[in-house]
Amino acid sequence: MSATESSPLSTHVLNTSDGVPGAKMALSLHRLDSKLMIWTMISVGTTNEDGRCPGLISQEAFTPGMYKLRFETGSYWESLGQICFYPYVEVVFTIRELSQKLHLPLLMSRFSYSTYRGS
Amino acid sequence: MSALRLQQLKGQILPENKITTMAGSPSPLTTHVLNTAMGVPGSNMTLRLYQQDPSTNVWKLITAGATNVDGRCPGLITKEQFKPGVYKIHFETAQYWESVGETSFYPYVEIVFTITNADQKYHVPLLVSRFSYSTYRGS
Repeated sequence: MSATESSPLSTHVLNTSDGVPGAKMALSLHRLDSKLMIWTMISVGTTNEDGRCPGLISQEAFTPGMYKLRFETGSYWESLGQICFYPYVEVVFTIRELSQKLHLPLLMSRFSYSTYRGS
Repeated sequence: MSALRLQQLKGQILPENKITTMAGSPSPLTTHVLNTAMGVPGSNMTLRLYQQDPSTNVWKLITAGATNVDGRCPGLITKEQFKPGVYKIHFETAQYWESVGETSFYPYVEIVFTITNADQKYHVPLLVSRFSYSTYRGS
Protein backbone atom coordinates (compact mmCIF):
# COMPACT_ATOMS: atom_id res chain seq x y z
CA MET A 1 0.00 0.00 0.00
CA SER A 2 1.31 3.46 -0.91
CA ALA A 3 2.18 5.55 2.10
CA THR A 4 2.24 8.75 0.07
CA GLU A 5 -1.36 8.69 -1.15
CA SER A 6 -3.95 8.37 1.60
CA SER A 7 -6.63 5.73 1.36
CA PRO A 8 -10.13 6.95 0.35
CA LEU A 9 -11.46 4.53 2.96
CA SER A 10 -10.51 4.92 6.59
CA THR A 11 -11.58 3.35 9.83
CA HIS A 12 -11.21 4.10 13.54
CA VAL A 13 -11.72 1.59 16.29
CA LEU A 14 -12.81 2.93 19.66
CA ASN A 15 -12.96 0.83 22.81
CA THR A 16 -15.96 2.47 24.45
CA SER A 17 -15.65 0.33 27.60
CA ASP A 18 -12.30 1.74 28.54
CA GLY A 19 -12.53 5.07 26.72
CA VAL A 20 -9.43 4.39 24.66
CA PRO A 21 -8.64 3.75 21.00
CA GLY A 22 -8.89 0.11 19.98
CA ALA A 23 -5.20 -0.34 19.30
CA LYS A 24 -3.56 -3.42 17.81
CA MET A 25 -6.80 -4.86 16.45
CA ALA A 26 -6.39 -7.01 13.36
CA LEU A 27 -8.69 -6.17 10.50
CA SER A 28 -9.10 -6.92 6.81
CA LEU A 29 -10.86 -5.36 3.83
CA HIS A 30 -12.58 -7.52 1.23
CA ARG A 31 -14.44 -6.90 -2.00
CA LEU A 32 -17.17 -9.08 -3.42
CA ASP A 33 -16.41 -10.39 -6.88
CA SER A 34 -19.89 -10.01 -8.33
CA LYS A 35 -19.31 -12.54 -11.12
CA LEU A 36 -17.94 -15.35 -8.98
CA MET A 37 -19.89 -14.28 -5.86
CA ILE A 38 -16.89 -14.75 -3.61
CA TRP A 39 -15.05 -12.37 -1.30
CA THR A 40 -11.50 -11.45 -2.23
CA MET A 41 -9.18 -9.89 0.32
CA ILE A 42 -7.90 -6.42 -0.58
CA SER A 43 -5.75 -5.69 2.45
CA VAL A 44 -5.05 -6.85 5.96
CA GLY A 45 -3.63 -4.82 8.78
CA THR A 46 -3.64 -3.90 12.43
CA THR A 47 -4.83 -0.70 14.02
CA ASN A 48 -2.14 1.60 15.38
CA GLU A 49 -1.98 3.21 18.84
CA ASP A 50 -4.70 5.62 17.80
CA GLY A 51 -7.03 2.83 16.64
CA ARG A 52 -6.55 3.73 12.99
CA CYS A 53 -5.27 1.74 10.03
CA PRO A 54 -3.90 3.89 7.21
CA GLY A 55 -3.49 2.61 3.69
CA LEU A 56 -6.51 0.32 3.50
CA ILE A 57 -7.02 0.74 -0.24
CA SER A 58 -5.80 2.90 -3.12
CA GLN A 59 -8.02 5.40 -4.89
CA GLU A 60 -7.78 3.38 -8.14
CA ALA A 61 -8.83 0.13 -6.50
CA PHE A 62 -11.78 1.66 -4.66
CA THR A 63 -14.35 1.17 -7.42
CA PRO A 64 -18.12 0.77 -6.96
CA GLY A 65 -19.12 -2.58 -5.55
CA MET A 66 -19.78 -4.42 -2.31
CA TYR A 67 -17.10 -4.42 0.36
CA LYS A 68 -16.68 -5.71 3.86
CA LEU A 69 -14.44 -4.61 6.66
CA ARG A 70 -13.77 -7.41 9.13
CA PHE A 71 -12.58 -6.61 12.64
CA GLU A 72 -11.05 -9.33 14.81
CA THR A 73 -12.82 -8.27 17.97
CA GLY A 74 -12.55 -11.66 19.71
CA SER A 75 -8.75 -11.71 19.44
CA TYR A 76 -8.57 -8.08 20.54
CA TRP A 77 -10.45 -8.64 23.80
CA GLU A 78 -8.58 -11.89 24.37
CA SER A 79 -5.29 -9.98 24.26
CA LEU A 80 -6.71 -7.83 27.07
CA GLY A 81 -7.60 -10.95 29.05
CA GLN A 82 -11.34 -10.61 28.49
CA ILE A 83 -14.04 -12.39 26.56
CA CYS A 84 -16.19 -10.69 23.96
CA PHE A 85 -19.72 -11.51 22.87
CA TYR A 86 -18.69 -11.01 19.24
CA PRO A 87 -15.91 -13.28 17.86
CA TYR A 88 -15.55 -10.83 14.97
CA VAL A 89 -17.49 -7.97 13.40
CA GLU A 90 -18.02 -7.69 9.67
CA VAL A 91 -19.42 -4.47 8.28
CA VAL A 92 -20.71 -5.02 4.75
CA PHE A 93 -21.33 -1.90 2.67
CA THR A 94 -22.11 -0.80 -0.88
CA ILE A 95 -20.17 1.79 -2.85
CA ARG A 96 -22.34 3.14 -5.65
CA GLU A 97 -20.11 5.88 -6.98
CA LEU A 98 -16.50 6.87 -6.66
CA SER A 99 -16.37 8.28 -3.15
CA GLN A 100 -14.16 11.13 -2.10
CA LYS A 101 -13.55 10.05 1.45
CA LEU A 102 -15.34 7.39 3.39
CA HIS A 103 -14.89 6.84 7.12
CA LEU A 104 -16.16 3.65 8.75
CA PRO A 105 -15.57 3.69 12.50
CA LEU A 106 -16.28 0.89 14.93
CA LEU A 107 -17.25 1.85 18.45
CA MET A 108 -17.20 -1.24 20.54
CA SER A 109 -17.27 -2.78 23.97
CA ARG A 110 -17.36 -6.44 24.99
CA PHE A 111 -21.14 -6.58 24.62
CA SER A 112 -22.06 -3.93 22.08
CA TYR A 113 -20.88 -2.18 18.95
CA SER A 114 -21.97 0.48 16.53
CA THR A 115 -20.83 1.78 13.20
CA TYR A 116 -21.84 4.55 10.86
CA ARG A 117 -20.92 6.04 7.53
CA GLY A 118 -18.79 9.10 8.11
CA SER A 119 -16.51 11.24 6.01
CA MET B 1 -57.49 -20.71 29.24
CA SER B 2 -53.93 -21.58 30.22
CA ALA B 3 -51.06 -19.27 29.30
CA LEU B 4 -49.54 -22.06 27.22
CA ARG B 5 -52.74 -22.57 25.22
CA LEU B 6 -53.07 -18.81 24.65
CA GLN B 7 -49.48 -18.70 23.36
CA GLN B 8 -50.21 -21.57 20.94
CA LEU B 9 -53.32 -19.83 19.62
CA LYS B 10 -51.43 -16.55 19.16
CA GLY B 11 -48.83 -18.39 17.12
CA GLN B 12 -51.53 -19.62 14.76
CA ILE B 13 -53.70 -16.54 14.30
CA LEU B 14 -51.11 -13.78 13.87
CA PRO B 15 -50.43 -13.93 10.10
CA GLU B 16 -47.12 -12.08 10.24
CA ASN B 17 -45.73 -14.50 12.79
CA LYS B 18 -44.46 -17.03 10.31
CA ILE B 19 -42.62 -19.00 12.95
CA THR B 20 -44.56 -20.97 15.51
CA THR B 21 -42.77 -22.24 18.56
CA MET B 22 -42.96 -25.92 19.35
CA ALA B 23 -44.31 -26.34 22.86
CA GLY B 24 -45.14 -22.67 23.29
CA SER B 25 -42.15 -21.84 25.50
CA PRO B 26 -40.49 -18.60 24.45
CA SER B 27 -37.26 -18.64 22.50
CA PRO B 28 -34.17 -18.14 24.71
CA LEU B 29 -32.83 -15.91 21.94
CA THR B 30 -34.76 -12.82 20.86
CA THR B 31 -34.17 -9.86 18.61
CA HIS B 32 -35.78 -6.46 18.07
CA VAL B 33 -35.26 -4.24 15.06
CA LEU B 34 -35.62 -0.51 15.57
CA ASN B 35 -35.63 1.98 12.70
CA THR B 36 -33.80 4.79 14.45
CA ALA B 37 -34.10 7.13 11.47
CA MET B 38 -37.87 7.16 11.62
CA GLY B 39 -38.35 6.33 15.30
CA VAL B 40 -40.43 3.24 14.58
CA PRO B 41 -40.02 -0.52 14.92
CA GLY B 42 -38.33 -2.12 11.92
CA SER B 43 -41.27 -4.23 10.86
CA ASN B 44 -41.38 -6.72 7.99
CA MET B 45 -37.61 -7.09 7.86
CA THR B 46 -36.51 -10.50 6.64
CA LEU B 47 -33.99 -12.21 8.86
CA ARG B 48 -32.31 -15.60 9.26
CA LEU B 49 -30.70 -17.26 12.26
CA TYR B 50 -27.73 -19.57 11.68
CA GLN B 51 -25.82 -21.85 14.01
CA GLN B 52 -22.19 -22.66 13.28
CA ASP B 53 -21.16 -26.30 13.23
CA PRO B 54 -18.18 -26.38 15.64
CA SER B 55 -16.28 -29.07 13.73
CA THR B 56 -16.79 -27.88 10.13
CA ASN B 57 -17.45 -24.14 10.72
CA VAL B 58 -20.32 -24.45 8.26
CA TRP B 59 -23.36 -22.26 8.98
CA LYS B 60 -26.62 -24.14 9.41
CA LEU B 61 -29.90 -22.29 8.90
CA ILE B 62 -32.08 -22.58 12.01
CA THR B 63 -34.93 -20.19 11.26
CA ALA B 64 -35.97 -17.86 8.46
CA GLY B 65 -38.62 -15.28 9.08
CA ALA B 66 -39.51 -11.62 9.24
CA THR B 67 -40.07 -9.14 12.03
CA ASN B 68 -43.64 -8.44 13.04
CA VAL B 69 -45.30 -5.03 13.36
CA ASP B 70 -43.40 -4.46 16.61
CA GLY B 71 -40.05 -5.27 14.99
CA ARG B 72 -39.78 -8.57 16.84
CA CYS B 73 -39.49 -12.14 15.65
CA PRO B 74 -40.74 -14.66 18.22
CA GLY B 75 -39.79 -18.30 18.06
CA LEU B 76 -36.25 -17.89 16.74
CA ILE B 77 -35.00 -21.08 18.34
CA THR B 78 -36.20 -23.72 20.79
CA LYS B 79 -34.59 -24.35 24.13
CA GLU B 80 -33.54 -27.80 22.93
CA GLN B 81 -31.75 -26.50 19.85
CA PHE B 82 -30.07 -23.69 21.75
CA LYS B 83 -26.64 -25.04 22.63
CA PRO B 84 -23.42 -23.13 23.38
CA GLY B 85 -21.63 -22.10 20.20
CA VAL B 86 -21.38 -19.41 17.57
CA TYR B 87 -24.53 -18.02 15.97
CA LYS B 88 -25.34 -15.31 13.51
CA ILE B 89 -28.43 -13.34 12.64
CA HIS B 90 -28.58 -12.07 9.08
CA PHE B 91 -30.82 -9.01 8.62
CA GLU B 92 -31.94 -8.02 5.11
CA THR B 93 -31.51 -4.30 5.68
CA ALA B 94 -31.30 -3.04 2.07
CA GLN B 95 -34.43 -4.95 1.18
CA TYR B 96 -36.15 -3.33 4.16
CA TRP B 97 -35.11 0.21 3.20
CA GLU B 98 -36.10 -0.45 -0.40
CA SER B 99 -39.59 -1.38 0.77
CA VAL B 100 -39.90 2.10 2.32
CA GLY B 101 -38.52 3.69 -0.85
CA GLU B 102 -34.95 4.32 0.30
CA THR B 103 -31.48 3.02 -0.34
CA SER B 104 -29.17 1.70 2.35
CA PHE B 105 -25.40 1.83 2.78
CA TYR B 106 -25.54 -1.70 4.17
CA PRO B 107 -26.88 -4.43 1.83
CA TYR B 108 -27.35 -6.61 4.89
CA VAL B 109 -26.19 -6.76 8.48
CA GLU B 110 -24.85 -9.91 10.08
CA ILE B 111 -24.31 -10.06 13.80
CA VAL B 112 -22.11 -12.95 14.86
CA PHE B 113 -22.08 -13.83 18.54
CA THR B 114 -20.89 -16.53 20.91
CA ILE B 115 -23.21 -18.25 23.36
CA THR B 116 -21.29 -19.63 26.31
CA ASN B 117 -24.18 -20.36 28.68
CA ALA B 118 -27.30 -21.60 26.91
CA ASP B 119 -29.35 -21.41 30.12
CA GLN B 120 -29.45 -17.64 29.96
CA LYS B 121 -31.70 -15.41 27.88
CA TYR B 122 -30.06 -13.44 25.10
CA HIS B 123 -31.50 -10.39 23.39
CA VAL B 124 -29.69 -9.26 20.23
CA PRO B 125 -31.38 -6.09 18.96
CA LEU B 126 -30.52 -4.12 15.84
CA LEU B 127 -30.90 -0.36 15.87
CA VAL B 128 -30.62 0.70 12.26
CA SER B 129 -30.79 3.70 9.99
CA ARG B 130 -29.75 3.96 6.33
CA PHE B 131 -26.17 4.88 7.26
CA SER B 132 -25.59 3.44 10.72
CA TYR B 133 -26.41 0.55 13.00
CA SER B 134 -25.70 -0.68 16.46
CA THR B 135 -26.32 -3.75 18.54
CA TYR B 136 -25.80 -4.87 22.10
CA ARG B 137 -26.34 -7.88 24.28
CA GLY B 138 -29.55 -7.39 26.20
CA SER B 139 -31.78 -9.65 28.25
